[in-house]
Amino acid sequence: MSGEESVHIAAAEMHMADSDLSESIKAATKDSHVRAENTELMRSYVRGQVSSSQYKLLLCSLYEIYRALEEALDRNASHPAVMPIYFPQELARLETLQRDLEHFYGQSWRQKIIVPAATLRYAKRLREIGEKHPEYLVAHAYTRYLGDLSGGQVLGRITQKSLGLKDGEGVSFFSFPAVSSPSLFKQLYRSRMNSIELTQEQREGVLQEAVRAFELNIEVFDDIQEMLSIAQPETDLRQRHIKHSHAQLLQDDKMMAKTLQITSPWSSAAPLIRMLLGVCVALAVGMGIYAF
Amino acid sequence: MADAQSEAPAQQELLEVEEPLLSNLDIFLFSLIAGLLIYWVTFRKKPEPIPEFKKLDAPAPPSRETSFMEKMKKTGRNIVVFYGSQTGTAEEFANRLSKDAQRYGMKGMAADPEEYDMAELSRLSEIDNSLAIFCMATYGEGDPTDNAQDFYDWLQEGEADLDGLNFAVFGLGNKTYEHYNAMGKYVDKRLEELGAKRVFDLGMGDDDANLEEDFVSWREQFWPAICEHFGVEATGEESSIRQYELKVEEDMNMNKVYTGEIGRIKSFENQKPPFDAKNPFLAPVTVNRKLNKGGDRHLMHLELDISGSKIRYESGDHVAVYPTNDTAIVSKLGDILGVDLDIVISLNNLDEESNKKHPFPCPTSYRTALTHYLDITHPPRTNVLYELAQYASDPKDQENMRKMASSSPEGKALYQSFVLDPCRNILAILEDIPSLKPPADHLCELLPRLQARYYSIASSSKVHPNSIHICCVVVEYETSTGRTNRGVATNWLKSKLPTDNGHKASVPMYVRKSQFRLPFKATNPVIMVGPGTGIAPFVGFIQERGWLKEQGKEVGETVLYYGCRHKSEDYLYEEELAEFQKSGVLTQLNVAFSRDQAQKVYVQHLLKNNKEEIWKQVHSNSAHIYICGDARNMARDVQATFHEMAEELGGLTHTQAVDYVKKLMTKGRYSQDVWS
Repeated sequence: MSGEESVHIAAAEMHMADSDLSESIKAATKDSHVRAENTELMRSYVRGQVSSSQYKLLLCSLYEIYRALEEALDRNASHPAVMPIYFPQELARLETLQRDLEHFYGQSWRQKIIVPAATLRYAKRLREIGEKHPEYLVAHAYTRYLGDLSGGQVLGRITQKSLGLKDGEGVSFFSFPAVSSPSLFKQLYRSRMNSIELTQEQREGVLQEAVRAFELNIEVFDDIQEMLSIAQPETDLRQRHIKHSHAQLLQDDKMMAKTLQITSPWSSAAPLIRMLLGVCVALAVGMGIYAF
Repeated sequence: MADAQSEAPAQQELLEVEEPLLSNLDIFLFSLIAGLLIYWVTFRKKPEPIPEFKKLDAPAPPSRETSFMEKMKKTGRNIVVFYGSQTGTAEEFANRLSKDAQRYGMKGMAADPEEYDMAELSRLSEIDNSLAIFCMATYGEGDPTDNAQDFYDWLQEGEADLDGLNFAVFGLGNKTYEHYNAMGKYVDKRLEELGAKRVFDLGMGDDDANLEEDFVSWREQFWPAICEHFGVEATGEESSIRQYELKVEEDMNMNKVYTGEIGRIKSFENQKPPFDAKNPFLAPVTVNRKLNKGGDRHLMHLELDISGSKIRYESGDHVAVYPTNDTAIVSKLGDILGVDLDIVISLNNLDEESNKKHPFPCPTSYRTALTHYLDITHPPRTNVLYELAQYASDPKDQENMRKMASSSPEGKALYQSFVLDPCRNILAILEDIPSLKPPADHLCELLPRLQARYYSIASSSKVHPNSIHICCVVVEYETSTGRTNRGVATNWLKSKLPTDNGHKASVPMYVRKSQFRLPFKATNPVIMVGPGTGIAPFVGFIQERGWLKEQGKEVGETVLYYGCRHKSEDYLYEEELAEFQKSGVLTQLNVAFSRDQAQKVYVQHLLKNNKEEIWKQVHSNSAHIYICGDARNMARDVQATFHEMAEELGGLTHTQAVDYVKKLMTKGRYSQDVWS
């Protein structure tokens, strides 16, 4: 290339869609991002009105999601599409979630985890692509981790203030001690994303998966909100739940637990046993009428 | 008769089957029991889902005394500061206000309204010169905080007569919420409605702006007003409040005395990984050589041995070192303070509730504190001068010191001319204000902690896995008072020679990860701009690119733009760079010698000379750009050069060019490791 040859590029060309993955993914998920922000759960968060029940359910779901995601990432650590974005030391959330769950539920937190159907679908999808399409994992890692490092930081502060938590107890999920600068780390992460080599087809798959990742998150938020509204049907009752007196906190959970207690055994008891139970009751009643 | 008829056959049946194996009652009972059993088995599996809570904020058990009047009378207090606090801020403000009272010859206490019988407010006037202050935070949509709920309800009932009660309110709120400071406003209004006397206007703090500033401003005017109201002398000017109390330790077990450790005592003797900011590794210094061939500065290259420490690093990371102060300065301080530097002392926090028991590891000697823990070289901050003013026997000196801490333009100018411009450190100030004779312990309480210093690592862990290299320049300069000021860390490092009387010099250090990294793909070209000691991380980068080549990887263009003053004096790593160029690792080397010709030539001029080539690499070949060194001028000028390149060669407007470079940063292709 001669020194005289200057490379003039029309301004129009410069504004052409950036072919970097980090930029395409951002563009492809723009709408989904807005919709995720506008879910009922996220809106109440931003208003500073996150309740203990909301947060705890969120933690449960995040646990299942990150368990699946990080397992998939670990297993595919040397896959060429995962290696560049594999930062377990800096990013891994599983341990922090375990700590936070233990803070809220005690030692036996594993038995107390409650997740809605959307979370199970999300985890299932992650396991699927971990097996069949590891090159799509970047879509999920991007959606979750970069989110955690951005708006996630603000959510952490809101949670801490709303629930009156001290010393980082219960909110270690939001803290990334191995990342000295979230903004610089995001820059590094994006450069890594952009170094992943993908065919055109794979690239499109990644973009679609990113949109799906956002959708799955939205469904989880909505499901959580749904679960809570079943447990607390009156809206003015919900208003009072914003005040986090401890009696109230326990009340929230007792109520929710009771509701769930009523629904779950019936749904989970095997139909056979239910029938047997019905037969016995019918028999008892019948004999009672007959005999007395 | 139908009944009798239906009854009869049943009865007949009964009579016919007089003695069955199982009577109807039995069947009834059996099925009932079976049903109950099944129910029990089915439902038993579900555990009690009442969650166990780790203690968040347990409400205070009612076994304590609930009368604040009793407590105040017993302890001779006249001021009570109630707080409605959710996250602890209002509580902190209440604590500070209650401590302030001392300054004005009064005694205060902070109190949680949930723990006390607030109805006693109507009796507060039984105490002379009494005052109730309220620090009330607003929660959510204009609601009281949890601990103020009962108080709020009580106020609403409105059955109290608060005639004779003196009060003032400070509200904590946030302007982004609709009901800004609703609680503070309500309490202020309501107390008056109930007959109490407002002695100072409602203060409102905005957490969206600067809550602390709002509080401090309100408080500054509050106390003089209170003093006036009670006819009390405002003694606040002269006295100051100590945070810590000195304890001289006699017959101390020397094993329990800190001798410079950052964290655990004896952590320098018994080193245990993992090593980090609280537990640094004592790395032996294996190399310490002067890098420049001439000139009056001293640039050096050090190598720290990290074998056996399990410390890992990547090129681009930073090494943090914990330096110590010049012993000569410490001794001079000891003389001028008139104290025996070797006595063992502890400074204990007067606030027993505080998490910070001591300002620095205690017990220790003054010598250790001034050498290892305290910053004695930076010009002292204005609040330090204000607190020390009381110890100047000359009233003019006292006045000047207080003036320098004030917000008046005169005071600010005095601070600038007396402290900042001549770079006076605390020793210089003590020497130049002879009437100032502070006690050593108060001074130690006021001085800031000595901070670790960070250096960009100048080696690649692939090539030097057990050694961390440092490249830095010793800081030394003359001040306008004729003194020579020396940089703490650089002078300390200079003195760390590999064999120091047969005893290896070592440096307490740890690695701080950065995000300054070579591209993931070795084929990406790299353009490094690092004049002066900014070359440090690039020495590591170039070493690593060389290693990758040796591994048989295809490596892209590796381009360096370096600058120094004189080729013959301070051309750092000249031989190493020549070697790298010869072996083809460094594909392009551009050096600017700023003072070797009449006009100044800097790295940005060299960049401009090669603009076409650079633009091609950046725009079409995914080159990564790295800048390291001086933040103030060099980094800014280099960035401007890239803007120009984008404008000229990319056909962009200036705004578009700025955006283009910003985009490169967002995508991690334009990284900076700069310092001021």
